[in-house]
Amino acid sequence: MSYVRGLKCRECGQAYPEKGVHVCETCFGPLEVQYDYAAMRGKVTRESISAGPRNLWRYRDLLPINGTPRSGLHSGMTPLKRARNLEKVLGVRELYIKDDSANYPTWSYKERVVSVAITKAIELGYDTVGCASTGNLANSVAAHAAEAGLRAFVMIPHDLEQGKVLGSLIFNPTMVRIEGNYDDVNRLCSEIADKYRWAIVNVNLRPFYTEGAKTFGFEIAEQMGWKLPKHTVCPTAGGTILPKIYKGYREFIHLGLVEDNQPRIYSAQAAGCNPVVEAIQAGRDLIKPQKPKTIAKSIAIGNPADGFYVVQAVKESGGWGADATDAEIVDAIKLLARTEGTWTEPAGGTTLAATIKLIESGRIPRDESICVCITGNGLKTVEVVVDQLEPPASIPPSLDAFDRLMSGRATTETLPVAV
Amino acid sequence: MAKVNKRVWLTFGSRSLVEKPILWQMARQYPDVSFDIRQASVTAEIGIMAVLFEGEPDEVAGALDYLKSRGLTVEPIEKNMIES
Ligand SMILES: Cc1ncc(COP(=O)(O)O)c(C=O)c1O
Ligand SMILES: [Zn+2]
Repeated sequence: MSYVRGLKCRECGQAYPEKGVHVCETCFGPLEVQYDYAAMRGKVTRESISAGPRNLWRYRDLLPINGTPRSGLHSGMTPLKRARNLEKVLGVRELYIKDDSANYPTWSYKERVVSVAITKAIELGYDTVGCASTGNLANSVAAHAAEAGLRAFVMIPHDLEQGKVLGSLIFNPTMVRIEGNYDDVNRLCSEIADKYRWAIVNVNLRPFYTEGAKTFGFEIAEQMGWKLPKHTVCPTAGGTILPKIYKGYREFIHLGLVEDNQPRIYSAQAAGCNPVVEAIQAGRDLIKPQKPKTIAKSIAIGNPADGFYVVQAVKESGGWGADATDAEIVDAIKLLARTEGTWTEPAGGTTLAATIKLIESGRIPRDESICVCITGNGLKTVEVVVDQLEPPASIPPSLDAFDRLMSGRATTETLPVAV
Repeated sequence: MAKVNKRVWLTFGSRSLVEKPILWQMARQYPDVSFDIRQASVTAEIGIMAVLFEGEPDEVAGALDYLKSRGLTVEPIEKNMIES
Protein backbone atom coordinates (compact mmCIF):
# COMPACT_ATOMS: atom_id res chain seq x y z
CA MET A 1 0.00 0.00 0.00
CA SER A 2 1.45 3.34 -1.02
CA TYR A 3 0.18 6.75 -0.06
CA VAL A 4 2.02 8.50 -2.90
CA ARG A 5 -0.15 10.59 -5.22
CA GLY A 6 2.37 11.63 -7.85
CA LEU A 7 4.72 14.60 -8.15
CA LYS A 8 4.00 18.30 -8.02
CA CYS A 9 5.98 21.43 -8.94
CA ARG A 10 6.99 23.35 -5.83
CA GLU A 11 6.74 26.67 -7.65
CA CYS A 12 3.70 26.56 -9.94
CA GLY A 13 1.87 23.50 -8.60
CA GLN A 14 1.65 21.57 -11.85
CA ALA A 15 1.11 17.82 -11.32
CA TYR A 16 3.33 15.09 -12.83
CA PRO A 17 3.15 11.28 -12.76
CA GLU A 18 5.59 9.32 -10.63
CA LYS A 19 8.62 8.81 -12.86
CA GLY A 20 12.23 9.84 -13.33
CA VAL A 21 11.65 13.55 -13.80
CA HIS A 22 12.77 16.30 -11.47
CA VAL A 23 12.02 19.74 -12.91
CA CYS A 24 8.78 21.27 -14.06
CA GLU A 25 8.54 21.59 -17.84
CA THR A 26 6.81 24.94 -17.51
CA CYS A 27 8.70 26.91 -14.87
CA PHE A 28 11.77 24.67 -14.30
CA GLY A 29 10.93 24.53 -10.58
CA PRO A 30 11.79 21.39 -8.56
CA LEU A 31 9.23 18.58 -8.28
CA GLU A 32 8.16 17.16 -4.96
CA VAL A 33 6.39 13.92 -3.99
CA GLN A 34 2.75 14.30 -2.93
CA TYR A 35 1.16 12.03 -0.30
CA ASP A 36 -2.41 11.39 0.74
CA TYR A 37 -2.07 12.31 4.40
CA ALA A 38 -5.81 12.00 5.04
CA ALA A 39 -5.63 8.32 4.06
CA MET A 40 -2.75 7.82 6.54
CA ARG A 41 -4.73 8.99 9.54
CA GLY A 42 -5.34 6.15 11.98
CA LYS A 43 -3.22 3.81 9.84
CA VAL A 44 0.23 5.33 10.18
CA THR A 45 0.60 5.34 13.95
CA ARG A 46 3.30 5.09 16.61
CA GLU A 47 2.40 1.41 16.90
CA SER A 48 2.57 0.72 13.16
CA ILE A 49 5.97 2.39 12.96
CA SER A 50 7.32 0.70 16.11
CA ALA A 51 6.32 -2.66 14.68
CA GLY A 52 8.46 -2.05 11.57
CA PRO A 53 12.00 -3.22 10.87
CA ARG A 54 14.95 -1.71 12.75
CA ASN A 55 16.12 0.30 9.76
CA LEU A 56 14.96 3.38 7.90
CA TRP A 57 12.20 1.44 6.14
CA ARG A 58 10.13 1.47 9.34
CA TYR A 59 8.94 4.83 7.88
CA ARG A 60 8.11 3.41 4.46
CA ASP A 61 4.51 4.71 4.58
CA LEU A 62 6.03 8.19 4.44
CA LEU A 63 8.53 7.33 1.72
CA PRO A 64 7.88 7.34 -2.05
CA ILE A 65 8.06 3.66 -2.92
CA ASN A 66 5.34 1.30 -4.08
CA GLY A 67 6.86 -2.17 -3.80
CA THR A 68 9.27 -3.70 -1.32
CA PRO A 69 12.45 -1.93 -0.23
CA ARG A 70 15.41 -3.09 -2.34
CA SER A 71 18.23 -1.22 -0.70
CA GLY A 72 19.21 0.04 2.73
CA LEU A 73 17.83 -2.89 4.72
CA HIS A 74 20.52 -2.18 7.29
CA SER A 75 20.70 1.59 6.93
CA GLY A 76 19.33 4.18 9.30
CA MET A 77 18.28 3.76 12.93
CA THR A 78 21.56 5.30 14.00
CA PRO A 79 22.18 6.26 17.63
CA LEU A 80 20.52 9.24 19.25
CA LYS A 81 22.67 9.95 22.26
CA ARG A 82 22.01 12.14 25.25
CA ALA A 83 25.25 14.14 25.38
CA ARG A 84 25.67 14.64 29.12
CA ASN A 85 29.38 15.46 29.05
CA LEU A 86 28.92 18.03 26.33
CA GLU A 87 25.95 19.48 28.24
CA LYS A 88 28.33 20.27 31.10
CA VAL A 89 30.97 21.81 28.85
CA LEU A 90 28.44 23.98 27.01
CA GLY A 91 26.32 24.79 30.04
CA VAL A 92 23.03 23.57 28.57
CA ARG A 93 20.31 21.43 30.10
CA GLU A 94 19.32 18.91 27.44
CA LEU A 95 21.54 18.11 24.47
CA TYR A 96 21.33 15.23 21.98
CA ILE A 97 23.62 13.98 19.22
CA LYS A 98 21.95 12.25 16.28
CA ASP A 99 24.87 10.22 15.05
CA ASP A 100 24.96 9.28 11.36
CA SER A 101 28.71 8.71 11.56
CA ALA A 102 27.41 5.23 12.42
CA ASN A 103 25.15 4.87 9.39
CA TYR A 104 25.72 1.59 7.53
CA PRO A 105 27.34 0.81 5.08
CA THR A 106 29.42 3.91 4.21
CA TRP A 107 29.04 6.03 7.34
CA SER A 108 27.14 9.14 6.36
CA TYR A 109 23.61 10.49 6.13
CA LYS A 110 23.71 9.76 2.38
CA GLU A 111 22.62 6.14 3.06
CA ARG A 112 19.15 7.53 3.68
CA VAL A 113 18.71 9.31 0.37
CA VAL A 114 20.51 6.61 -1.61
CA SER A 115 18.43 3.75 -0.11
CA VAL A 116 15.26 5.42 -1.36
CA ALA A 117 16.74 6.40 -4.74
CA ILE A 118 18.06 2.88 -5.48
CA THR A 119 14.79 1.25 -4.51
CA LYS A 120 12.97 3.73 -6.73
CA ALA A 121 15.40 3.17 -9.60
CA ILE A 122 14.64 -0.56 -9.54
CA GLU A 123 10.92 0.15 -9.31
CA LEU A 124 11.08 2.44 -12.34
CA GLY A 125 12.98 -0.19 -14.32
CA TYR A 126 16.48 1.31 -14.43
CA ASP A 127 19.45 -1.06 -14.47
CA THR A 128 22.11 1.62 -14.08
CA VAL A 129 22.45 4.21 -11.34
CA GLY A 130 24.91 7.04 -11.18
CA CYS A 131 26.05 10.18 -9.50
CA ALA A 132 28.76 12.79 -9.70
CA SER A 133 30.41 13.23 -6.38
CA THR A 134 33.51 14.14 -4.44
CA GLY A 135 32.98 11.70 -1.60
CA ASN A 136 30.15 10.54 0.62
CA LEU A 137 27.46 10.32 -2.05
CA ALA A 138 29.66 8.28 -4.41
CA ASN A 139 30.66 5.91 -1.61
CA SER A 140 27.03 5.30 -0.76
CA VAL A 141 25.79 4.89 -4.34
CA ALA A 142 28.61 2.46 -5.17
CA ALA A 143 27.96 0.32 -2.08
CA HIS A 144 24.17 0.19 -2.36
CA ALA A 145 24.32 -0.49 -6.11
CA ALA A 146 26.76 -3.37 -5.55
CA GLU A 147 24.42 -4.94 -3.03
CA ALA A 148 21.34 -4.41 -5.21
CA GLY A 149 23.07 -5.83 -8.29
CA LEU A 150 22.80 -2.65 -10.35
CA ARG A 151 25.45 -1.14 -12.57
CA ALA A 152 26.90 1.99 -11.01
CA PHE A 153 28.49 4.92 -12.81
CA VAL A 154 30.37 7.28 -10.57
CA MET A 155 31.81 10.47 -11.98
CA ILE A 156 34.42 12.44 -10.09
CA PRO A 157 36.57 15.50 -10.63
CA HIS A 158 40.05 14.36 -11.71
CA ASP A 159 41.95 15.77 -8.72
CA LEU A 160 40.23 14.02 -5.81
CA GLU A 161 42.07 12.66 -2.74
CA GLN A 162 42.92 8.97 -2.81
CA GLY A 163 40.80 8.10 0.21
CA LYS A 164 37.67 9.41 -1.43
CA VAL A 165 38.40 7.55 -4.66
CA LEU A 166 39.11 4.23 -2.92
CA GLY A 167 36.02 4.55 -0.74
CA SER A 168 33.97 4.10 -3.91
CA LEU A 169 36.31 1.99 -6.05
CA ILE A 170 36.30 -0.89 -3.58
CA PHE A 171 32.65 -1.52 -4.50
CA ASN A 172 33.63 -1.83 -8.16
CA PRO A 173 31.54 0.82 -9.88
CA THR A 174 32.53 2.17 -13.26
CA MET A 175 34.40 5.28 -12.25
CA VAL A 176 35.25 8.09 -14.59
CA ARG A 177 37.58 10.94 -13.72
CA ILE A 178 36.58 14.10 -15.48
CA GLU A 179 39.32 16.50 -16.44
CA GLY A 180 38.03 19.94 -15.75
CA ASN A 181 36.94 22.27 -13.03
CA TYR A 182 33.78 22.01 -10.99
CA ASP A 183 31.71 23.87 -13.58
CA ASP A 184 32.92 21.65 -16.42
CA VAL A 185 32.05 18.51 -14.49
CA ASN A 186 28.62 19.89 -13.64
CA ARG A 187 27.87 20.73 -17.24
CA LEU A 188 29.05 17.39 -18.58
CA CYS A 189 27.04 15.47 -16.00
CA SER A 190 23.89 17.34 -16.82
CA GLU A 191 24.43 16.44 -20.48
CA ILE A 192 25.02 12.79 -19.57
CA ALA A 193 21.85 12.76 -17.43
CA ASP A 194 19.93 14.13 -20.40
CA LYS A 195 21.29 11.66 -22.92
CA TYR A 196 21.63 8.26 -21.21
CA ARG A 197 18.72 6.42 -19.64
CA TRP A 198 20.39 6.18 -16.27
CA ALA A 199 19.04 6.95 -12.85
CA ILE A 200 21.30 9.73 -11.66
CA VAL A 201 20.25 9.64 -8.03
CA ASN A 202 20.56 13.32 -7.21
CA VAL A 203 19.33 14.53 -10.61
CA ASN A 204 16.45 12.75 -12.34
CA LEU A 205 15.58 10.80 -9.17
CA ARG A 206 15.98 13.87 -6.97
CA PRO A 207 12.32 14.13 -5.85
CA PHE A 208 12.49 10.57 -4.46
CA TYR A 209 16.08 10.77 -3.26
CA THR A 210 15.53 13.86 -1.13
CA GLU A 211 12.53 12.29 0.64
CA GLY A 212 14.91 9.73 2.18
CA ALA A 213 16.44 12.51 4.28
CA LYS A 214 13.18 12.84 6.22
CA THR A 215 14.09 9.63 8.04
CA PHE A 216 16.84 11.53 9.88
CA GLY A 217 14.10 13.65 11.46
CA PHE A 218 11.68 10.76 11.97
CA GLU A 219 14.30 8.85 13.91
CA ILE A 220 15.11 11.82 16.13
CA ALA A 221 11.41 12.15 17.02
CA GLU A 222 10.85 8.45 17.67
CA GLN A 223 14.10 7.97 19.59
CA MET A 224 13.34 10.94 21.84
CA GLY A 225 10.21 9.04 22.89
CA TRP A 226 7.82 10.53 20.30
CA LYS A 227 8.85 14.10 21.06
CA LEU A 228 10.67 16.75 19.08
CA PRO A 229 13.71 18.66 20.20
CA LYS A 230 12.91 22.36 20.45
CA HIS A 231 16.09 23.25 18.53
CA THR A 232 17.74 21.22 15.75
CA VAL A 233 21.05 22.29 14.22
CA CYS A 234 21.85 20.84 10.82
CA PRO A 235 24.64 21.32 8.23
CA THR A 236 23.82 22.74 4.80
CA ALA A 237 25.54 21.99 1.50
CA GLY A 238 23.18 21.54 -1.46
CA GLY A 239 20.24 22.05 0.86
CA THR A 240 18.66 18.60 0.90
CA ILE A 241 18.77 17.48 4.48
CA LEU A 242 17.68 20.56 6.44
CA PRO A 243 14.30 21.17 4.78
CA LYS A 244 13.61 17.42 4.82
CA ILE A 245 14.29 17.02 8.55
CA TYR A 246 11.89 19.89 9.09
CA LYS A 247 9.36 18.32 6.72
CA GLY A 248 9.67 15.05 8.65
CA TYR A 249 8.90 16.87 11.90
CA ARG A 250 5.88 18.63 10.32
CA GLU A 251 4.56 15.33 8.93
CA PHE A 252 4.74 13.67 12.36
CA ILE A 253 2.95 16.67 13.88
CA HIS A 254 0.32 16.59 11.14
CA LEU A 255 -0.32 12.88 11.70
CA GLY A 256 -0.62 13.41 15.45
CA LEU A 257 2.45 11.27 16.21
CA VAL A 258 4.18 14.02 18.18
CA GLU A 259 3.00 17.17 19.90
CA ASP A 260 3.61 20.46 18.08
CA ASN A 261 6.26 22.16 20.20
CA GLN A 262 7.01 24.54 17.34
CA PRO A 263 10.42 23.07 16.57
CA ARG A 264 13.06 25.44 15.27
CA ILE A 265 15.73 24.48 12.79
CA TYR A 266 19.13 26.11 12.27
CA SER A 267 21.58 25.95 9.38
CA ALA A 268 25.31 25.44 9.95
CA GLN A 269 27.93 26.23 7.32
CA ALA A 270 31.66 26.77 7.13
CA ALA A 271 32.70 30.42 7.13
CA GLY A 272 34.62 29.69 3.91
CA CYS A 273 31.40 28.65 2.17
CA ASN A 274 28.35 30.19 3.82
CA PRO A 275 25.95 31.37 1.09
CA VAL A 276 22.87 30.12 2.95
CA VAL A 277 23.85 31.38 6.39
CA GLU A 278 24.81 34.71 4.84
CA ALA A 279 21.34 35.00 3.24
CA ILE A 280 19.59 34.06 6.50
CA GLN A 281 21.57 36.60 8.49
CA ALA A 282 21.01 39.30 5.86
CA GLY A 283 17.28 38.58 5.79
CA ARG A 284 17.35 37.64 2.11
CA ASP A 285 15.53 34.73 0.41
CA LEU A 286 17.89 34.50 -2.54
CA ILE A 287 21.35 33.01 -2.37
CA LYS A 288 24.45 34.81 -3.62
CA PRO A 289 26.83 32.25 -5.17
CA GLN A 290 30.29 31.91 -3.58
CA LYS A 291 33.63 30.28 -4.36
CA PRO A 292 34.21 27.77 -1.52
CA LYS A 293 37.39 27.87 0.54
CA THR A 294 37.22 25.60 3.56
CA ILE A 295 38.44 22.28 4.97
CA ALA A 296 34.79 21.21 5.21
CA LYS A 297 34.82 19.84 1.68
CA SER A 298 31.73 17.68 2.02
CA ILE A 299 29.62 20.79 2.57
CA ALA A 300 31.48 23.18 0.27
CA ILE A 301 28.78 24.00 -2.27
CA GLY A 302 28.90 27.63 -3.32
CA ASN A 303 25.58 27.82 -5.14
CA PRO A 304 23.25 25.29 -3.51
CA ALA A 305 20.40 23.90 -5.62
CA ASP A 306 17.95 23.94 -2.72
CA GLY A 307 19.42 26.80 -0.71
CA PHE A 308 16.24 28.80 -1.13
CA TYR A 309 14.25 26.03 0.59
CA VAL A 310 16.71 25.95 3.48
CA VAL A 311 16.13 29.67 4.03
CA GLN A 312 12.35 29.09 3.87
CA ALA A 313 12.38 26.26 6.42
CA VAL A 314 14.66 28.16 8.79
CA LYS A 315 12.52 31.29 8.57
CA GLU A 316 9.21 29.47 8.91
CA SER A 317 10.43 27.65 12.01
CA GLY A 318 11.89 30.73 13.69
CA GLY A 319 15.43 29.35 13.51
CA TRP A 320 18.64 31.01 12.40
CA GLY A 321 22.05 30.28 10.86
CA ALA A 322 25.65 30.30 12.05
CA ASP A 323 29.00 29.63 10.45
CA ALA A 324 32.35 28.36 11.73
CA THR A 325 35.96 28.97 10.73
CA ASP A 326 38.23 26.07 9.84
CA ALA A 327 39.95 26.32 13.24
CA GLU A 328 36.60 26.27 15.04
CA ILE A 329 35.55 23.25 12.99
CA VAL A 330 38.64 21.26 14.01
CA ASP A 331 38.23 22.29 17.67
CA ALA A 332 34.63 21.10 17.59
CA ILE A 333 35.61 17.76 16.02
CA LYS A 334 38.07 17.26 18.89
CA LEU A 335 35.57 18.41 21.50
CA LEU A 336 32.90 15.97 20.31
CA ALA A 337 35.39 13.11 20.28
CA ARG A 338 36.73 13.88 23.74
CA THR A 339 33.38 14.43 25.41
CA GLU A 340 31.08 11.98 23.66
CA GLY A 341 33.28 9.40 21.93
CA THR A 342 32.05 10.30 18.46
CA TRP A 343 34.52 11.04 15.67
CA THR A 344 32.91 13.10 12.97
CA GLU A 345 34.16 14.70 9.78
CA PRO A 346 34.27 18.50 9.23
CA ALA A 347 30.53 18.65 8.40
CA GLY A 348 29.82 17.48 11.95
CA GLY A 349 32.49 19.79 13.39
CA THR A 350 30.82 22.67 11.58
CA THR A 351 27.45 21.78 13.06
CA LEU A 352 28.72 21.53 16.62
CA ALA A 353 30.76 24.74 16.28
CA ALA A 354 27.70 26.55 14.92
CA THR A 355 25.59 25.17 17.77
CA ILE A 356 28.05 26.58 20.28
CA LYS A 357 27.82 30.01 18.63
CA LEU A 358 24.02 29.91 18.58
CA ILE A 359 24.01 29.08 22.30
CA GLU A 360 26.58 31.70 23.20
CA SER A 361 24.80 34.40 21.23
CA GLY A 362 21.52 33.57 22.99
CA ARG A 363 19.76 32.41 19.81
CA ILE A 364 19.31 28.99 21.41
CA PRO A 365 18.31 29.19 25.09
CA ARG A 366 20.39 27.04 27.46
CA ASP A 367 17.39 25.46 29.15
CA GLU A 368 15.60 24.02 26.10
CA SER A 369 16.20 20.74 24.28
CA ILE A 370 18.79 20.84 21.48
CA CYS A 371 19.70 18.21 18.87
CA VAL A 372 22.97 18.40 16.92
CA CYS A 373 22.89 16.54 13.58
CA ILE A 374 26.12 14.63 12.98
CA THR A 375 26.06 13.55 9.35
CA GLY A 376 29.46 12.01 8.56
CA ASN A 377 32.41 10.01 9.90
CA GLY A 378 35.87 11.32 10.85
CA LEU A 379 37.73 8.26 9.58
CA LYS A 380 37.18 9.51 6.03
CA THR A 381 38.89 12.83 6.69
CA VAL A 382 41.97 12.09 8.79
CA GLU A 383 43.83 14.89 6.97
CA VAL A 384 42.04 17.60 8.94
CA VAL A 385 43.27 16.36 12.33
CA VAL A 386 46.55 14.64 11.53
CA ASP A 387 48.64 17.70 12.46
CA GLN A 388 46.37 18.73 15.30
CA LEU A 389 46.87 15.84 17.70
CA GLU A 390 49.72 15.32 20.18
CA PRO A 391 51.79 12.36 18.95
CA PRO A 392 52.00 9.48 21.44
CA ALA A 393 55.10 9.00 23.61
CA SER A 394 57.53 6.24 22.63
CA ILE A 395 59.49 4.33 25.29
CA PRO A 396 61.67 1.25 25.58
CA PRO A 397 59.82 -1.88 26.78
CA SER A 398 60.69 -1.53 30.48
CA LEU A 399 58.60 -0.74 33.53
CA ASP A 400 61.27 1.67 34.58
CA ALA A 401 60.84 3.71 31.41
CA PHE A 402 57.12 3.66 31.88
CA ASP A 403 57.42 4.84 35.47
CA ARG A 404 59.63 7.69 34.35
CA LEU A 405 57.10 8.62 31.72
CA MET A 406 54.30 8.61 34.28
CA SER A 407 56.20 10.83 36.64
CA GLY A 408 56.69 13.27 33.83
CA ARG A 409 60.51 13.07 33.78
CA ALA A 410 60.79 11.32 30.44
CA THR A 411 58.49 13.52 28.48
CA THR A 412 61.27 15.57 26.94
CA GLU A 413 63.08 12.43 25.73
CA THR A 414 60.13 10.89 23.97
CA LEU A 415 60.09 10.62 20.27
CA PRO A 416 57.03 11.44 18.26
CA VAL A 417 55.68 8.51 16.35
CA ALA A 418 54.58 8.97 12.79
CA VAL A 419 50.81 8.66 12.54
CA MET B 1 22.60 22.87 -38.13
CA ALA B 2 19.78 21.78 -35.84
CA LYS B 3 18.58 24.18 -33.18
CA VAL B 4 19.24 23.38 -29.55
CA ASN B 5 17.42 24.20 -26.31
CA LYS B 6 19.33 25.14 -23.17
CA ARG B 7 17.65 25.56 -19.80
CA VAL B 8 19.74 27.53 -17.35
CA TRP B 9 19.64 29.45 -14.11
CA LEU B 10 21.03 32.96 -14.41
CA THR B 11 22.15 34.69 -11.24
CA PHE B 12 22.69 38.46 -11.14
CA GLY B 13 24.76 38.44 -7.97
CA SER B 14 25.07 42.13 -7.10
CA ARG B 15 23.26 45.44 -7.31
CA SER B 16 25.45 46.61 -10.17
CA LEU B 17 24.56 43.51 -12.22
CA VAL B 18 20.85 43.82 -11.42
CA GLU B 19 20.90 47.41 -12.63
CA LYS B 20 22.35 46.70 -16.08
CA PRO B 21 20.22 45.65 -19.08
CA ILE B 22 22.44 42.64 -19.71
CA LEU B 23 19.83 40.41 -21.35
CA TRP B 24 18.93 43.16 -23.78
CA GLN B 25 22.59 43.69 -24.62
CA MET B 26 23.01 39.96 -25.18
CA ALA B 27 20.00 39.95 -27.51
CA ARG B 28 21.55 42.75 -29.59
CA GLN B 29 24.73 40.71 -30.02
CA TYR B 30 22.96 37.40 -30.61
CA PRO B 31 19.75 38.37 -32.36
CA ASP B 32 19.07 34.79 -33.51
CA VAL B 33 19.07 33.32 -30.01
CA SER B 34 15.64 33.42 -28.43
CA PHE B 35 15.21 33.52 -24.65
CA ASP B 36 12.13 32.69 -22.66
CA ILE B 37 12.02 33.57 -18.95
CA ARG B 38 10.04 30.90 -17.10
CA GLN B 39 10.60 32.04 -13.54
CA ALA B 40 12.29 35.03 -11.97
CA SER B 41 12.91 36.63 -8.64
CA VAL B 42 14.66 39.96 -8.67
CA THR B 43 15.42 42.34 -5.82
CA ALA B 44 17.67 45.39 -5.66
CA GLU B 45 20.64 43.26 -4.66
CA ILE B 46 20.23 39.97 -6.44
CA GLY B 47 18.29 38.44 -9.29
CA ILE B 48 17.69 34.80 -10.23
CA MET B 49 16.01 33.65 -13.42
CA ALA B 50 15.15 30.33 -15.01
CA VAL B 51 15.57 30.86 -18.74
CA LEU B 52 15.14 28.73 -21.86
CA PHE B 53 17.54 29.62 -24.69
CA GLU B 54 17.03 28.40 -28.23
CA GLY B 55 19.09 28.72 -31.38
CA GLU B 56 22.02 27.29 -33.35
CA PRO B 57 24.45 25.48 -30.98
CA ASP B 58 27.32 27.93 -31.56
CA GLU B 59 25.08 30.93 -31.16
CA VAL B 60 23.57 29.65 -27.90
CA ALA B 61 27.03 28.82 -26.55
CA GLY B 62 28.21 32.29 -27.56
CA ALA B 63 25.26 33.97 -25.88
CA LEU B 64 25.86 32.07 -22.63
CA ASP B 65 29.57 32.87 -22.74
CA TYR B 66 28.67 36.51 -23.25
CA LEU B 67 26.48 36.43 -20.13
CA LYS B 68 29.32 34.84 -18.14
CA SER B 69 31.73 37.47 -19.42
CA ARG B 70 29.39 40.13 -18.06
CA GLY B 71 29.60 38.56 -14.60
CA LEU B 72 26.42 36.52 -14.42
CA THR B 73 26.48 33.00 -12.95
CA VAL B 74 25.19 30.62 -15.62
CA GLU B 75 24.28 27.11 -14.50
CA PRO B 76 22.33 24.22 -15.98
CA ILE B 77 18.85 23.84 -14.45
CA GLU B 78 20.25 20.62 -13.01
CA LYS B 79 22.76 22.48 -10.89
CA ASN B 80 25.01 20.85 -8.32
CA MET B 81 25.31 17.62 -10.16
CA ILE B 82 28.43 17.00 -8.13
CA GLU B 83 27.60 16.33 -4.54
CA SER B 84 29.89 15.52 -1.72
C1 LIG C 1 28.64 14.56 5.71
C2 LIG C 1 27.67 15.47 5.06
N1 LIG C 1 26.91 16.24 5.83
C3 LIG C 1 26.04 17.10 5.32
C4 LIG C 1 25.87 17.25 3.98
C5 LIG C 1 24.92 18.31 3.55
O1 LIG C 1 23.97 17.99 2.79
P1 LIG C 1 22.88 18.74 1.92
O2 LIG C 1 23.43 18.71 0.54
O3 LIG C 1 21.75 17.83 2.13
O4 LIG C 1 22.62 20.14 2.41
C6 LIG C 1 26.62 16.45 3.11
C7 LIG C 1 26.45 16.46 1.66
O5 LIG C 1 26.83 16.90 0.78
C8 LIG C 1 27.56 15.55 3.67
O6 LIG C 1 28.35 14.78 2.88
ZN1 LIG D 1 6.33 24.59 -12.27
